[in-house]
Amino acid sequence: MDFDFKFMIDTFFMALKGIPTTLMLTVTAMLIALPAGFFMAVVRRSKTPAASQLIAVYVSYMRGTPLILQIFLLYNLLPTVLNVLFQALHIPINIFNVSNSIYAIVIFSLCETAILEEVFRSALGTVDKGQLEAASTVGLSPFQGYIHIVIPQALVSALPVLCNTTTDLIKMTSLAFNMSVLDMTAIAKIQAAMQLSYIEAYLSIFFLYLILVLVIERIFGLVERRLRIYQKG
Amino acid sequence: MLELKGIHKNFGKHEILKGINITVEKGDVVAILGPSGSGKTTLLRCVNFLERADHGVINLEGVETNCKTAGKKDILRIRKKVSFVFQNYNLFKNKTALENVTTGLIVAQKLPREQANAVGKELLNKVGLSDKYNSYPCKLSGGQQQRVGIARAMATNPDIILFDEPTSALDPELVGEVLDVIKKLAKEGVTMMVVTHEMGFARDVANKIIFMDSGSVIETGAPREFFRAPKEARTRQFLKRFIDEPEYII
Ligand SMILES: Nc1ncnc2c1ncn2[C@@H]1O[C@H](COP(=O)(O)OP(=O)(O)OP(=O)(O)O)[C@@H](O)[C@H]1O
Ligand SMILES: [Mg+2]
Repeated sequence: MDFDFKFMIDTFFMALKGIPTTLMLTVTAMLIALPAGFFMAVVRRSKTPAASQLIAVYVSYMRGTPLILQIFLLYNLLPTVLNVLFQALHIPINIFNVSNSIYAIVIFSLCETAILEEVFRSALGTVDKGQLEAASTVGLSPFQGYIHIVIPQALVSALPVLCNTTTDLIKMTSLAFNMSVLDMTAIAKIQAAMQLSYIEAYLSIFFLYLILVLVIERIFGLVERRLRIYQKG
Repeated sequence: MLELKGIHKNFGKHEILKGINITVEKGDVVAILGPSGSGKTTLLRCVNFLERADHGVINLEGVETNCKTAGKKDILRIRKKVSFVFQNYNLFKNKTALENVTTGLIVAQKLPREQANAVGKELLNKVGLSDKYNSYPCKLSGGQQQRVGIARAMATNPDIILFDEPTSALDPELVGEVLDVIKKLAKEGVTMMVVTHEMGFARDVANKIIFMDSGSVIETGAPREFFRAPKEARTRQFLKRFIDEPEYII
């Protein structure tokens, strides 16, 4: 079998067209999961009855089952269930018209939220409780104390892990092809199947993912350097 | 000016404060002494509601607050007038020395930034840190951090400052600079309540000594009488350690 270098380059440039989709999935899921995960972390740390337990169950469900299984379940089961429900309630929405990208965003957001809940919960734990006490002694409300003192410190300590989870998420979005979303992986897969040149097609997106991840890591590195000034003085 | 009446505090089954009564007049420097675990920290923390006492009344400037039933507004009112200096400084790690002093003014009291900065700089000058405005706490020595802590406590122009062992986390050679700042404030008439193990400081700076043991006030007095002729056996026993101590300097 000959290595088809030209095909690999061609696929590389075709897969480039998938980058916006991959990034869109990553960024949207991240934008939803960041506040949601943070909010859940705060609720869970406050040990609010019922809510904390609910979050704990949610997180261990999302973290304890393979993502691919959740995708199969949600993507295949949910539309059917919703369809039956909508019809029973005479809601005039055809659930099967909902774009596949929406499903992908929902599932990745749900998954990332669970991950970030844990990230933020441990990050908030790294901030000494004396910080919030000191804030209260100078007249700050707990909310103000969180905004000005606790969260900035927690974010800095969470940053390296946030970088990891973002790059993980980029890689996770490659599962979107299971929901017929045309991301980088899906494009490469289609090309590979058409030409029966799997190695070349996969190698091309292999490099693409690598480049994307390196860029993300670089960006986080820069942000972290800026935010960490108070630890260097 | 500040009157604590019947302050009780339990942690679980343990009765940590067993009905504390203390009166502080304007300009007083009250030193609170007592063995470890006697409830000194807990008492201070109850005064500005870092800990909520189970029973008791706090009378501040004639306004009585019931510890058990105090709401957010009551607590905020007390915190506005009562500042706290922590044993381990608890400076905001993500803020510069100046920001540590001004955050309360800007965020809680909504003072314009320039005005807050002016106040902050003046206070930092006062504690001898005119060259450290923009230093982060991690770049300051313990003594410098505690002096920022004192400046921060002064910022809101409080009626009284509570000090919880302000020098006991410091290396011995840094204790002096912090005590000097506290002495200076005392001379200026700032009212304060200081938990301390520095007997020399208590004797020379305080005008009122309170000795606590196992959650109760055992003895109260002026420093002269207190150190020369303590009335209670437990006080004598406690003081004996400190009188003997210099002999053991290595
Ligand atoms: N949050 C808490 N939960 C349970 N017990 C506590 C708590 N805080 C303090 N205690 C207990 O209350 C008692 C008094 O503690 P406190 O810190 O007030 O003593 P202290 O006089 O300040 O002692 P030290 O001189 O060592 O600082 C101790 O036995 C301590 O174990
Ligand atoms: Mg103490």
